[in-house]
Amino acid sequence: MLKAEHITKTYNAGKKTALEDFSIHVPKGSIYGLLGPNGAGKTSFIRIINQITQADSGDVFINGEKLNPNHIKDIGYMPEERGLYKNMSVGDQILYFGELKGMKRNDALNEAKKWFEKLHIDQWWKKKLSELSKGMAQKIQFVVTVLHRPHLLILDEPFSGFDPVNANLIKDQIIELKNNGTTIILSTHRMESVEEMCDYVALIDNSKKIIDGRVFDVREKFKKNIFGITLSDVNNEQLQQFQNKYEIFNLSEQNNLISFDLKNTVNQNDILLDLVQAGKVRSFDEKIPSMNEVFINAVGNHS
Amino acid sequence: MNNIYLITKREFLTQVKKKSFVLLTLLAPLMIIGFGAVIGLMFKANESHNVIEVVDNSGLFKGQLKSNDKLEYIFVPVADEKSKIKNLKGNESLDGILVLPQISGNNFDDLEKNTRLVVNTKIGLDTKQRIISDISNVIKKEKIKQLGIAESQLDNLDKNFELRTINVSENNKEDSDLAFGVKTGLSLGLMYVTFMFIIIYGVRVMRSVLEEKNNRVVEIIISSVKPFELMMGKILGVTMVALTQFIVWISMSVIGALVLNTGFSSIQKNIPGGNEEISDKLDIAQIATQVSHSLLDLNFPLIIFVFIVFFLLGYIFYSSIYAAIGSAVDNETETQQFTLFAILPLTLGMYGSFSLMNNPDGPLGFWLSIIPFTSPVAMIARIPYGVPAWQIALSIFLLLATTIFMIFLAGKIYRVGILMYGNKATLKELWKWIRS
Repeated sequence: MLKAEHITKTYNAGKKTALEDFSIHVPKGSIYGLLGPNGAGKTSFIRIINQITQADSGDVFINGEKLNPNHIKDIGYMPEERGLYKNMSVGDQILYFGELKGMKRNDALNEAKKWFEKLHIDQWWKKKLSELSKGMAQKIQFVVTVLHRPHLLILDEPFSGFDPVNANLIKDQIIELKNNGTTIILSTHRMESVEEMCDYVALIDNSKKIIDGRVFDVREKFKKNIFGITLSDVNNEQLQQFQNKYEIFNLSEQNNLISFDLKNTVNQNDILLDLVQAGKVRSFDEKIPSMNEVFINAVGNHS
Repeated sequence: MNNIYLITKREFLTQVKKKSFVLLTLLAPLMIIGFGAVIGLMFKANESHNVIEVVDNSGLFKGQLKSNDKLEYIFVPVADEKSKIKNLKGNESLDGILVLPQISGNNFDDLEKNTRLVVNTKIGLDTKQRIISDISNVIKKEKIKQLGIAESQLDNLDKNFELRTINVSENNKEDSDLAFGVKTGLSLGLMYVTFMFIIIYGVRVMRSVLEEKNNRVVEIIISSVKPFELMMGKILGVTMVALTQFIVWISMSVIGALVLNTGFSSIQKNIPGGNEEISDKLDIAQIATQVSHSLLDLNFPLIIFVFIVFFLLGYIFYSSIYAAIGSAVDNETETQQFTLFAILPLTLGMYGSFSLMNNPDGPLGFWLSIIPFTSPVAMIARIPYGVPAWQIALSIFLLLATTIFMIFLAGKIYRVGILMYGNKATLKELWKWIRS
């Protein structure tokens, strides 16, 4: 769907680099997370896709076609800094934004009605934005973004400022859109939403891409073969032997349960065979790093 | 293009639909009339009617001091002088007693020395001046009589000399003082209207840009349209608002004039300040025909053409400056430093144009009406007096070129500025944006 190749973007006559040799590939119908701390270059990249700014060098392709102004109507963009006209009625506002994206007025009206029913906000059509609560305004903002049925949806920090109820509601809508074939780029510095929603992820730090790929693969790649183990009814003698054989840390005891982490160097089934001697195995699971840990690790290795 | 149309339409409709716009448009003419009426009433209310009793020992003044509706002279017998003065205090129907002494051997200096005005309350400066002037007139007449000149001879001496000016470049048309007055009135009126509209609506463009920036709505729009389209749409939208307001006001004046159904008032309303030169001694109807005559003599198609061209170009020129300012700052309080750049040249043009009345074709008028920063107001101020075609053409060309250049510059600042949040740009930064 979207391919970015060797994008470089600088500001202030080259004094400040926002993106350096940045390349990603966003497959069609996926949710692609752009992950990175504030100021890493996420918003710069998004603005380039939206043709708000231009890259100094490098190319962006959408469906194999070089990025051009015709793509604008295929893209739905919810910026991090968002807002609507306070003194304009909700309906007028939505139609205006629809028309700006090249929709026919009637078309925009029908599509808006559909969304308003879906989000249960049809009674707000004639209200002015200043009369709405913040949560309501956020829903309108979302409708504005998706109204023109974009093939590519770009959401910059989509959940910042949303209350939990609305955040969930929007999350469901995003997943539904994805299931219907929309490609979604989601930029955030909140790792947990990436784990929940994204199929692919690219980590950006200090204007460079550090790692990218499927979320599963990325996490697998950063795992350190550490297992978390909990035992009950421990045979202390056997446990001692076990401890001599393996590298164990974070040992703790609570309510006659013994928990520890283990760094694996052999086949994990061999560990299990040894473990059953030491006590009843209550839990045994491989510790896959969270995106947060991956990120800290990746950034740490990198710099 | 379609995007500019959509933005213009939105800008226009949101502004026009505002209650404040409707109220202001409908009420402003009424308020101006009402304001004028209140001022008139205030002057009227402050006018007083003074009653002065005159004790004329000299016998020169009887029948010569004429009463009018502001000042009433009542001659009282000389014998009553003392009792009258005694009773003056507390007498509400009498303001003062003028005591004129006996005169001996036509010694008028003595008369002046011994004349007294005994007053009851504070007497206005205005009234005092009137009494002085009335007395001097009588004395003047008396002195002239002593020189042995007849009154008819005297009248003959006072006759005004009227100089007829014939303008060879305007079909040998006679250029009366009144016509010049009418032109000055028209010139001032048109210039002032242009000045006010540019300032008021330019600031409105700036506010609208700031509003979008503060609402954070701008980035959403910018992802659909080019910044330049947004800026132009905004400027054009506000232009439409200004024209709407203008048209409504003109229609209201015309309708008002028709309702009043006097030819005179239609002239008065259409041309603000058009009648300033008229002295109240002349017959109103006669003046009205003369004024309308002078007006009809003017080259109206040219004046209207020049007014529209300079009004619109000047407005767009300054609006693009205002749009750039709005984009470069974060809130309205920060705009002041920059708006000075926009207001100063325009104000210069306007005050400079006041001197046009003395010399419409002088070098100041020429340069002010050629230089693009001041030409929108100065050319409009000059046009009723007649301006050579080449100057108009040169000025339009320069203004058009500068306006396009200014839109280009403003577009550059605007493009960067609208996406900068949280800090006010410095002049140095603006320069960098322009060069990028």
